[in-house]
Amino acid sequence: MKIFRHLASALGAFCALAALGAFAFAVVLTFVVSAFKDVEISAWNVVMSQVARWFLFWVGIYLVHNVLPIAVAHGRTRREFFLAASAFSVALAAVAALLGWLGFVAEGGIYALMDWQADEHGSPLAYVLMFLVWTAVGMFCAAAFDRYGSAGVFSVPVGFVLAIISTTHIPGAGRWPIVPNLPTAVGAGWHLLSLAAFVVALGLTWVIVRNAPVRVRS
Amino acid sequence: MQIDVQGLSVRYGDVTAIDDMSFSLAGNKIYGLLGRNGSGKTSLMSALAGYRKPSGSVQLDGAPVFENAAAMRQVCLVRHSADAADKGDKVSYVLEYGAAWRDTWDNDYALELAELFKIGLKTKVGALSLGQRSALGVVIGLASRSPLTMLDEAHLGMDTPTRYAFYDALLNDFMAHPRTIILSTHLIEELASLLEEVVIIDAGRLVLQEEADVLRSRGTEVTGNAADVDEFTATLTVLSEKSLGRTKAAMVYGTLDDDQLVRARQLGLELGPIALQDLFVHLTDPVGGKR
Amino acid sequence: MFDDRSPIYRQIADRIKADVLSGALKADEQVMSTNQYASYYRINPATAAKAFQQLVDEQVLYKKRGIGMFVSAQARDMLRAQGRETFFGEVVDPMVAEARAIGIPLAEVIRRIEQHEDNGGV
Repeated sequence: MKIFRHLASALGAFCALAALGAFAFAVVLTFVVSAFKDVEISAWNVVMSQVARWFLFWVGIYLVHNVLPIAVAHGRTRREFFLAASAFSVALAAVAALLGWLGFVAEGGIYALMDWQADEHGSPLAYVLMFLVWTAVGMFCAAAFDRYGSAGVFSVPVGFVLAIISTTHIPGAGRWPIVPNLPTAVGAGWHLLSLAAFVVALGLTWVIVRNAPVRVRS
Repeated sequence: MQIDVQGLSVRYGDVTAIDDMSFSLAGNKIYGLLGRNGSGKTSLMSALAGYRKPSGSVQLDGAPVFENAAAMRQVCLVRHSADAADKGDKVSYVLEYGAAWRDTWDNDYALELAELFKIGLKTKVGALSLGQRSALGVVIGLASRSPLTMLDEAHLGMDTPTRYAFYDALLNDFMAHPRTIILSTHLIEELASLLEEVVIIDAGRLVLQEEADVLRSRGTEVTGNAADVDEFTATLTVLSEKSLGRTKAAMVYGTLDDDQLVRARQLGLELGPIALQDLFVHLTDPVGGKR
Repeated sequence: MFDDRSPIYRQIADRIKADVLSGALKADEQVMSTNQYASYYRINPATAAKAFQQLVDEQVLYKKRGIGMFVSAQARDMLRAQGRETFFGEVVDPMVAEARAIGIPLAEVIRRIEQHEDNGGV
């Protein structure tokens, strides 16, 4: 619980600030763009579908690459840290999706006021799942590179597949190659697949991390 | 804290850093882990701290340490460039981790030490000098108040006044809060008087484990006529020899008994003490004499 | 300070004995505590404790529970008696050997010693 609490207070505040800054930036940018052309897409959805997942991917990397060694150095086991970090990634994804939803509401108000057009965006659940998977994939890739050095690149294709599974129900997050309509055809059941991707990414992370040595910092 | 190491090996690919090592430490002392660069000090301490999975057994108070939450709580290892400090973090942030995650952490003491070593709390770890970064490691190690605290080459890059401040802080905190402290170093002269017991390793193997004060009486330099010196040292452990003309000086290891002292006097040999540092150099000398 | 060429506890004990002999430490005077001593000379407290324990065993010091250690009343006389036993073997004989080695006649050495006596010296 101590690990989770410190992660939440140290990283949580930072993430909330980043989200607030991103929202303010998106609004300002929309107003600037509106001076030159008609607004037709949701600027906030660009943040939510493109920027946010990379931010959470980075959080995943940071957790394993930077914070895990500190936890072990302060007498915490890998297992304790892994459980806390997993719980933290769930909480973070939920909060990020909630902030995103609030952002859509606020943006909707501004767009209605200004009579702008917004494109569609995904359901809160779709965002939660995407954030979860991307955080876990960040943890997985960081664990692989930390433990196996350059051989860690083999984690990248695996991580890539897991990551794009979770982006299919997010408009503006990119479409699938070859079979672009498959996910939509499957429908909401696809969410189960995203959940599975999250579990797989976490499981792979644990397999790598459970016996990983703490390297000497250079 | 009782430490038991049994058949411990640490390998990196083809390189064997620790080779089937076994020893026990009774604890509640200041130990010196002495060895040349690359002798396996850091690997050994990493295994003791649960930083890496041991092949063989490492037990603290009878319980294996690796991934054992109860045992891990009792340990703090700071390797030379401060393990619990991320380069991108500010010093204050680094100390917050200790306060948050260590039950035994004394934050007032941590701040006091940071001030003593003149480490700015707002400075980023990456911007600290090597000596300051070592000092930050000492802050983390001492403020953790861990029943087993290990400092690996903690003096690296420190200037002389800082080193003495470190020795004083260490000694006073140890007396106020007795615990097991292991200091690793290859610079013995300054640190030796702080140590109660010494563990010397070389090439991944245990060379000896002895009370520091006993070790100080163990080495003798025998000087005299070459033939007499050879006769006298024939049955002794000779660490090194050097000759000048007909005179020869031999460093022997081991306590001399009364018969030997009498014999030395009869042969007109001069017996002199050997400093701990010299003894260490010769015990771990790659081209050393007969072992 | 102490050197690394002989056991530090013995060096500490010798130093305290020397202080008792010279009168720098008087009978029933309190000596530094083990921790003060360790901290002052930057040495391991267990090493200092061993030295003090040896001095207690040799009855140079005595303990007052909860207060500290003190110089015994008979310490100085005892150390002087011990010193007299070893004085000729450890001080005079090597001096004579040294004088011979560098060619100073013993008569000259004796004359020098007598000068000290005449001056009422030490």
